[in-house]
Amino acid sequence: MASRKAQKERLRAERLRREAEEQAATRRRRLVQYGSGLGLLAVIVVVVAIVVSQSGSSASGAGAGGNVVDASLVSKQLQGIPQDRTVLGNPGAKVTVIEYGDLQCPVCKAFSFDVAPNLISQVVGKGTADYEFRQFPILGPDSIPAAKAALAAGAQGRYWNFVELFYRNQGEENSGYVTDSFLTSIAQAAGVRDISKWNSDRQSSKWDAELSKTRSDAQALGFNSTPSFVVEGPGGKKVLGSGVIPLSQIESAIESVQ
Amino acid sequence: MPSERALRLTAAVLAVCGIGVAAYIAIADASGSAPACLAGGHGCETVANSRYSHLAGVNVAVIGVGGYIALLLAAGAPGDLGRFAGLLVALVGFGFSVYLTYLELFVIDAICQWCVASACVMTLLLVVNAWRMFGYAGRDRLPAIGEPG
Repeated sequence: MASRKAQKERLRAERLRREAEEQAATRRRRLVQYGSGLGLLAVIVVVVAIVVSQSGSSASGAGAGGNVVDASLVSKQLQGIPQDRTVLGNPGAKVTVIEYGDLQCPVCKAFSFDVAPNLISQVVGKGTADYEFRQFPILGPDSIPAAKAALAAGAQGRYWNFVELFYRNQGEENSGYVTDSFLTSIAQAAGVRDISKWNSDRQSSKWDAELSKTRSDAQALGFNSTPSFVVEGPGGKKVLGSGVIPLSQIESAIESVQ
Repeated sequence: MPSERALRLTAAVLAVCGIGVAAYIAIADASGSAPACLAGGHGCETVANSRYSHLAGVNVAVIGVGGYIALLLAAGAPGDLGRFAGLLVALVGFGFSVYLTYLELFVIDAICQWCVASACVMTLLLVVNAWRMFGYAGRDRLPAIGEPG
């Protein structure tokens, strides 16, 4: 009798153990499924965020007829820094960092993204040097109206906003994105107040002499690509060459010509 | 294994730390300056001025504050809902932190201590939330051993 009861207990315990094992296995399977689902969902969300982050400032903005991106970012970057036509920074600074750039140039855009923000905040904003961007439109026919549009924005004190916003909305070189509509969008987002004056200014021939002088100055310095840099100060002139010049090299050049 | 209560408490404390760090960066950005690097240097300013500091026009620190608040709510939520939500948000936050750290190291070429602090907090939150999820998910429904099935 007792052994029969013990056997029943043993069988029951075995059944409970089996059920517990099955439940544990089911739970493990379910966790793996849920974990994989969550992982996949997280990967999708992160990939979407990265795509948005990467494309947020590319040609998909105003260049494709959409809205101008990063207007507030550029405005913040230049806030409180004086602008005098093509020159950004303290008018009393003894040293000038001069960039010869083309608004269609992707390497100039890289400089504008990777080095210019620190050059502006750490050097220009502190009055150590000012920063001049000279229009050197060499990449194609669309570079010239873009350069004139920037210079016309400069006549209303918004040259640097225009240049920086152009880079943040730049399209593919010579793809035809530099339309009147694109330039107008950039000018409006850059804060050019009198758009009709800007329109007539940018179409006039009054910038031809300036563009021609910039071209001959650049050639005299041996520049044939953009962006190219030279630093001028009381101690002389330091030609830095072309490409995405690191900030440390620009700072050394500023020290050497002070 | 720590109790689920201890894991939820740890997650809540970490989420509050994350809110503090992300809110500091967001406030510094909103006031027109950049977060101050504790040991000097320009790393924080460089990162804050880079184009990657904004996602679709929104400062990533603001998105970070939202993520940490969601993690705090998940830590407070009992059951599988809290476990799943916590792990999902922590996974997304961790993935995005890895991407931002990659940008700092290899694209922007500058390190912001506050961003590193946030990435560390998010990594710990992922560990704690994964522990909670894989240690306790589904347990609420299981009968205790010995109970009839």
